[in-house]
Amino acid sequence: MNTPLLEIEDLCAEVCGKQIIKDFNLTINEGEVHAIMGPNGAGKSTLSYVLCGKPGYAVTSGSVRFKGKDLLAMSVEERAREGVFLIMQYPVEIPGVPTTTFLKHAVNAVRKHQGLPELDTMEFLKMVREEGRLLGIDNEMLKRPINVGFSGGEKKRMETLEMSILKPDFAILDEADSGLDIDALKVVAEGVNRLRDGKRSMLVITHYQRLLNYIVPDFVHVFADGHIVRSGNKDLALELEQNGYAEFVKEK
Amino acid sequence: MTNLVPNIAYDYAELAKVSGIELPTPKTEAWKYTRLRDLLDCPYTLCTPSSATGPELPLKADVIHISNGRLVSALPQVAGAEITVIDHVEEKTHHPFAQMNALYLTQGLQITIRRKLSRPLVLNYHMSPNGENGFYHWRNIINCEKDSSAAIIEQFTYEGEVKSCYLANLVNDINIQAGASLQHYKYQNEAFKANHVALHEITIAADGKYESFCLQKGANIARNETEISLNGEGAEAVVNAAYMMNGWATLDTTTNVYHYQPHTKSSQLVKGVVGGTAKGVFQGRIHIAPNAVCTSGTQLHKAMVLSDDAEIDVKPELEIFADDVKCSHGAASGEIDKEQLFYMRSRGIGEEEAKTLLIDAYVTDVINHITDSSVREWFKSLI
Ligand SMILES: Nc1ncnc2c1ncn2[C@@H]1O[C@H](COP(=O)(O)OP(=O)(O)OP(=O)(O)O)[C@@H](O)[C@H]1O
Ligand SMILES: [Mg+2]
Repeated sequence: MNTPLLEIEDLCAEVCGKQIIKDFNLTINEGEVHAIMGPNGAGKSTLSYVLCGKPGYAVTSGSVRFKGKDLLAMSVEERAREGVFLIMQYPVEIPGVPTTTFLKHAVNAVRKHQGLPELDTMEFLKMVREEGRLLGIDNEMLKRPINVGFSGGEKKRMETLEMSILKPDFAILDEADSGLDIDALKVVAEGVNRLRDGKRSMLVITHYQRLLNYIVPDFVHVFADGHIVRSGNKDLALELEQNGYAEFVKEK
Repeated sequence: MTNLVPNIAYDYAELAKVSGIELPTPKTEAWKYTRLRDLLDCPYTLCTPSSATGPELPLKADVIHISNGRLVSALPQVAGAEITVIDHVEEKTHHPFAQMNALYLTQGLQITIRRKLSRPLVLNYHMSPNGENGFYHWRNIINCEKDSSAAIIEQFTYEGEVKSCYLANLVNDINIQAGASLQHYKYQNEAFKANHVALHEITIAADGKYESFCLQKGANIARNETEISLNGEGAEAVVNAAYMMNGWATLDTTTNVYHYQPHTKSSQLVKGVVGGTAKGVFQGRIHIAPNAVCTSGTQLHKAMVLSDDAEIDVKPELEIFADDVKCSHGAASGEIDKEQLFYMRSRGIGEEEAKTLLIDAYVTDVINHITDSSVREWFKSLI
């Protein structure tokens, strides 16, 4: 019934010799949306990077399986092609590389991995413009170098666009809501919800319960000091909004 | 060219010496970064003629084919310009390679631009080594008359043995008269053991404008040296370049800009990408004469270093003797940006492909300064 998509077991990881992720355990089944909330500096972004294989983030023990395969043995690009996607808290600006060029290379790299024919320029542009329109990204923005000079909100829309066209099986949203105005929040949330098909899974990292009104999670976890300290349903988010993290941070 | 015998291998340094010309040594300051020994180690014979021509450029142009240092096509009739063949010249400077070029000139052109040319003039240099290490000396004397405007494109290519270590020695004497403008573009893609030494001597009168871009991708040792004299108020020069090399080559961009008059302007932007054991050299001097007030001279060299054994040598020199001058120089070199690389890979793009995209973007940044759009697109297709 419940098919596990991502299985994280006793994961420990460090950055610059500093242990950040400590005995982290979490299983996400197909179709589930999990939310993670937790104080600044707890290690939420670090966890996202570890799952994507960012160089410099060293796993010291534990295991991660994705669709039953050893995720940690894969390169950054292999993970992406297998269907892991991260909406980054701070998307990177790349001067000189037009957004469409970048997106076309990404889409075709993933398609090639899936054994699908590469899209030609016309097919690609039609698809990306269509998805862009739904997210309020116009053609002018698509011609600009990727993320360069984009406002905070525009960057998050662009991340959502990338996710929409790459159609990953598992998406991590690291503060996808930060910097978004109320309307943009809805647009991004709708973009995310369009991808929810009962099979795709998501890990939603946020500081604000508001996002979870739009992207309703199946589970909410409190993340503090490198691991999950409490889990519950969507009501836990409301409780946290009321009480803050004091009880979890004190605990150690 | 009278006293050189075909089929005899000349020691270039020896030939210079008996001709009373002192070639630089690795100790000569202006040449110390250029691996001159490699260039001078190999004996050269005079290139034998060839009729093979270089690849066409994807743009509408008047084309002159030069093969193994000799003209191989009929000179085109260009409305607004006069082009004739020359077989001897005098060298006014003390530049040793230019002196050799004049003394043992293979052939050259006198190009006079009288008004605005409707399309670029392409000098398509091609080398087929014919199983020898040949050398040739080519020179263009370009005179841009008052208020004329032209674009000249030089392309250097080869065919046949990639390992031939031939020597191309080129000089452009360019005189830009008042109000005239010249766009000068160059693509150097010589064989990977070849040597290429080019000197551009440019004088610019009042309100004259020189815009150049040089892309170097080939040769073992290549030096592209530009010497500019801004001789009249309002004269302006843009000297941009890019170089990309993965083998063991030394690619040298040397620029000397002399601001002799007030209200003159110069700018230089040079970007390099070096991998393997390649070496990039940038020597840029801006000289501002005592009376040359209200001038501006800028210079920026940036390099991307792809391997531990690649090397960049940068020597900027500012000589400012006037007041009220805006001058700047800067240099930066670094590796491929790790955050950018990660971002691309995290979207499924393979590491090598991502690097190629980032390098293209890096070099395209200089190419985008080229005013002529068809030339710009051509250069983009070359990187
Ligand atoms: N490269 C690094 N070098 C040293 N310390 C680092 C590095 N990267 C992250 N850290 C530290 O790891 C800890 C966790 O950081 P992380 O960004 O994962 O937190 P977070 O939970 O995402 O916080 P926020 O809610 O503010 O986004 C922090 O104390 C941070 O300073
Ligand atoms: Mg974070």
